[in-house]
Amino acid sequence: MKAPLLELRGLAGGYDPIQIFQDVDLEVPHDRAVGFFGPNGHGKTTLMKTISGVLEPWSGDVIFEGRRMNRAAERGSRRWRNFNYDAIIPRRMDPKAVARAGLIHVAQGNLLFPEMTVEETLSIAPIAAAGRAGGAAETKRRRDEVEALFPRLAERRRHKARYLSGGERQMLSIAAGLMAAPKLLILDEPTLGLSPRLRGELCDAIRQVRAGGVPLILIEQDVGFLKELIDVLYLFDHGRISRRLTRDEVPSHDRLMAMLFGERE
Amino acid sequence: MRYDPPFHRSNGLVPALIALAALILFPLVFEASYLRHLMILAFVFAVVAASWDLSLGYGGLFNFAHVALFAVGIYSYGILAKTLGLNPWLAILLAGPIAMLFAAAVALPVLRLDGIFVILVTLAFSQLLFQIVISQSDITGGTSGMVTLPALSLGGYRFTKDGRIGYYYAALVLLVLAIAFLWRVTRSRFGRGIVAMRDAKYYAISRGAPEGGTRLVTLCASALFTGIAGGFYGSYVRVASPDIFGLGPLTLILSMLLVGGAGTIWGPVLAAFVVTALSEAMADLGFWREILMALLIIVVMVFYPGGLWALVQEAREAAAVALAGLRARRRRAAQKAAREARMGAPERMVETRHGLIAVAAAGPDEGAADGPPILLIHGNSACKEAFLHQFAAFRARRQVIAFDLPGHGVSENGDPEKSYNIPAYADVAEDVLAALGAKGPFVLGWSLGGYVALELTARDPAAYAGLAITGASPLNVVPEDFARGYDASSHVVLAGRQFFTPAERSRFAGSATAPLSEASAFMHANIDRTDGRARFYMLTKLSVVDWPRQMRMLREGTIPFAVLNGSNDPFLNHGYIAGLNYGAIWTGAPRDIEDGKHAPFFNRPEAFNEVFHAFMADASRARA
Amino acid sequence: MSLDTLLVVASGGLVLGAIYALMASGLAVVWTTLGIFNFAHGAFIALGAYLGWQLSHAEASGLGLLAGALGAVAAMFVIGVCFHYALVRPFERKANIVAASVITTLAGAAIIENGISLVWGPRSKQMPRLAEGDVALGPVVLSASDLVLLVTVAAILAGLGWFLGATRTGRSMRAVAQNREAAELMGLDVPRLYAVSFGLSAAMAGLAGLFVGSIRFMTPTMGADPLMKALIVVILGGVARFTSPIYAALIVGMVEAYSSYFLGLYWTPAVLFALMIAVLVLKPSGLFTSHQRTL
Repeated sequence: MKAPLLELRGLAGGYDPIQIFQDVDLEVPHDRAVGFFGPNGHGKTTLMKTISGVLEPWSGDVIFEGRRMNRAAERGSRRWRNFNYDAIIPRRMDPKAVARAGLIHVAQGNLLFPEMTVEETLSIAPIAAAGRAGGAAETKRRRDEVEALFPRLAERRRHKARYLSGGERQMLSIAAGLMAAPKLLILDEPTLGLSPRLRGELCDAIRQVRAGGVPLILIEQDVGFLKELIDVLYLFDHGRISRRLTRDEVPSHDRLMAMLFGERE
Repeated sequence: MRYDPPFHRSNGLVPALIALAALILFPLVFEASYLRHLMILAFVFAVVAASWDLSLGYGGLFNFAHVALFAVGIYSYGILAKTLGLNPWLAILLAGPIAMLFAAAVALPVLRLDGIFVILVTLAFSQLLFQIVISQSDITGGTSGMVTLPALSLGGYRFTKDGRIGYYYAALVLLVLAIAFLWRVTRSRFGRGIVAMRDAKYYAISRGAPEGGTRLVTLCASALFTGIAGGFYGSYVRVASPDIFGLGPLTLILSMLLVGGAGTIWGPVLAAFVVTALSEAMADLGFWREILMALLIIVVMVFYPGGLWALVQEAREAAAVALAGLRARRRRAAQKAAREARMGAPERMVETRHGLIAVAAAGPDEGAADGPPILLIHGNSACKEAFLHQFAAFRARRQVIAFDLPGHGVSENGDPEKSYNIPAYADVAEDVLAALGAKGPFVLGWSLGGYVALELTARDPAAYAGLAITGASPLNVVPEDFARGYDASSHVVLAGRQFFTPAERSRFAGSATAPLSEASAFMHANIDRTDGRARFYMLTKLSVVDWPRQMRMLREGTIPFAVLNGSNDPFLNHGYIAGLNYGAIWTGAPRDIEDGKHAPFFNRPEAFNEVFHAFMADASRARA
Repeated sequence: MSLDTLLVVASGGLVLGAIYALMASGLAVVWTTLGIFNFAHGAFIALGAYLGWQLSHAEASGLGLLAGALGAVAAMFVIGVCFHYALVRPFERKANIVAASVITTLAGAAIIENGISLVWGPRSKQMPRLAEGDVALGPVVLSASDLVLLVTVAAILAGLGWFLGATRTGRSMRAVAQNREAAELMGLDVPRLYAVSFGLSAAMAGLAGLFVGSIRFMTPTMGADPLMKALIVVILGGVARFTSPIYAALIVGMVEAYSSYFLGLYWTPAVLFALMIAVLVLKPSGLFTSHQRTL
């Protein structure tokens, strides 16, 4: 049997010394989209940052396309709490290697590079695809696709990111992610804080991305939108996956909240 | 690294007094005036470095004109005492306010700057002062500086006599006063404002702390004793030289501050002695001295960025853990008889997944068995003997089991990363039950033990006869519901503190384990034995607990459940507990024990046992 | 006083400004990408000068000026990279990187300066001039050495501008400077880019050292004064844009030249500091913009 696209085995992590999540086991099959739903502050974003290697996993493995992305060594008990272990112990995971393998994480509220233009940003984005997905011609093709997907960005090619609206920045983040030829795209609350109109535009774009066959991990608070796109929904709270629902099992928002917290009086 | 100690074992008064006594005796033992000279220099640099700590360590302001303020003190002394002929003592005292004026001048341009810009601007300011000093040679002596400044004397006694003993004690007094001043400032309301501005600037501003004002006062406060130390230094070396503005003195004093540990006051003081001594020890090495000192600084910063003070703290922590372990081992044998007598039950050690655990188990009497066993789980910093009244009441007719949690009582200390959290405690409970062959027990959990009991039973509700918690609030959403379930103004905040000061210890003992009394003294003795890491790590591992599973169990009512709190529990919010959604709670609501405190089973044992007995009887009937 | 005098003084100011621009841009490269202030930058100047002297001077290796300069600059790049790995890298993910790297770079500077004294002795040395003879440009007669210096600096700064603006590595460096986490998520090799910026900065300092060594005597602490000037430049200009320290450096160089000529060497520092304070009071974030950490 073919290995799943992404597999997490007993993943645990947090911000030293506070542990945020533990024992996360997950499989994302090829060509599928999975969603995450859960209360804020319970570790979804921390989990995604750990998957992409921005944070070090405390224990467990991240396996992408059958390849383990972290070093085998455990984080280990840091006996001397003031010793600078960074000076002698290499990181357990390298975000660069993860991105270059094709696991692209579009972070929450990502401002990218405020003093760089849309054009410049998109020109460095394919670095993550280097040696994996084609040469100049392939990059050009993706560039055209991205500009077709986000006509707004094409219009504002020479604008610096800091002069873009919130929605346009989010589009730029996703566009940069797509330029990296993702094999799996993590979108962390892409529509957070957007006006309804921009939200609609962005949702359309994400639908198109999904329709183009890009596997997704999507974190969203809008159950309706999630249900449209994903094959499996994970409820994530208190630092763990508390339930796995197939698309047909996903109930209304209120029912989901009740599943998480029970009916409160 | 800015070392931010999460703990204080004491107020540091005793070690400080011992150090002070040693310093007072030092010149009486060592008469070499060279040694005294080094000590005097160390005292002065300690004052300067510790004062700098106020702005750099506490305030997070990179004031690189600090050494220039010290120079301002030296030159003020020179001008006031020599040129203007003022009394040297008065000149030294005036050097402080003058340095504060200059600090205010530094503060103005950096009021609204951040980070590295502050470094640049303050460094430029100190260069500006340097330029002024060397350009105004009529007043300051220009590049050659001022020489033969007046020395100190008191009532005709010249301080240079008797191997500089007068200067030695004067410098010591200066150091003590400076530390007392800094200590007072950092512990004041304003000191907390300084730290708040460093850690959460916008929040502090939004709560009404003025940014500019805080910076201004911080810089001025750090300048006061720096200027006085400068004046004193001028009176001691009797020279004011513009060399003091160079990178050399800056590096020296900054290395004291950072190698000692910024944000600690004591660290820079300690490092002033260490650095002065090391630098003197290598005095003959010429250029190699500077290179070796620089390498040393780099090695300390790279591998141990918290500095010497962090090392001291870490050693203290290691000692405290070792001592707690030693106490446990000693008491395990020495006081076993007393414990067994108190409980009326034999004690044995059981090997579990989280180390060797002390277990007391008794009953039932031959042929009198009536109902399932009882497992009792104690709370934070307590011990199994807390349940002596339950042993007395129930042991005749049931098997009663209690054990010391890892790091508590006479059990072993655990691995802090693995063994000091609620699921680990539940693992221990499972292992204890298995070792005793006890099946289907009632579980009573107290406080922290309440969460252990919830975690334990939620794993397999059908395997337990019933669950009762006391002194604990079930939690829906963690950590948010801690604020709802508990009274945050009470001493419950101490529950996560690794080390207690004596005052905190007695407050925690009085409200958490049981009101202080003769009868509860044996339990309070356990606070000193408890591995402080157990308290701290439990808080960092809250997310390894499956809280929703506990609440699902309670909502679905899959286990007979009782809440038996003290009506006077100082920690709990009874309204929150009553308002939760329980599927099957005994008598339909939490049952409060009249006049019970946080440990009602201990301070109102008869009433508690009666209610608990009734719950067990009803639960057994219902299950049958 | 004639127009000629003014022009001669201006050419001197231009040379100073060019050296300061080279220094300040090198300082700014590290500051903006890593967010730290490198106190060893002045020591890099001295080391670059001494290495250049060692390689090129007839009394030492005698490889000739061009080979010596290239060798020194290359060596400084490597030294800069080593410095980064030893002194800054261990704190890369720490919140207190600014304070920690201040003291480690100060210590690094002490090692370099005292090491120079150990190796080359305290006696001052001088680089040979970059070129002999004079060149007449209209009414102004420039020494060929100054002209070489100006052209080299202009070419290097232009090259740096092109590198940062148009090449993928340069753009990546700017990206890392602006948002490290996003750069990591994009698959950029952040540690390598940091090391490259440090090496680049050290190489620029080394080159500036060669120039300083050709117009002044070389001592182990020769970097202190240019570092202070670069500091004024950076305060004046800010580092918002790659070009702002360059303008500021030219202003500082000119002010220094004219004030030295008309007011005397004695007053020059005071004039510069007065200028700096005036700017700080009127526009605290620098003359040319308001943002602090971008390339």
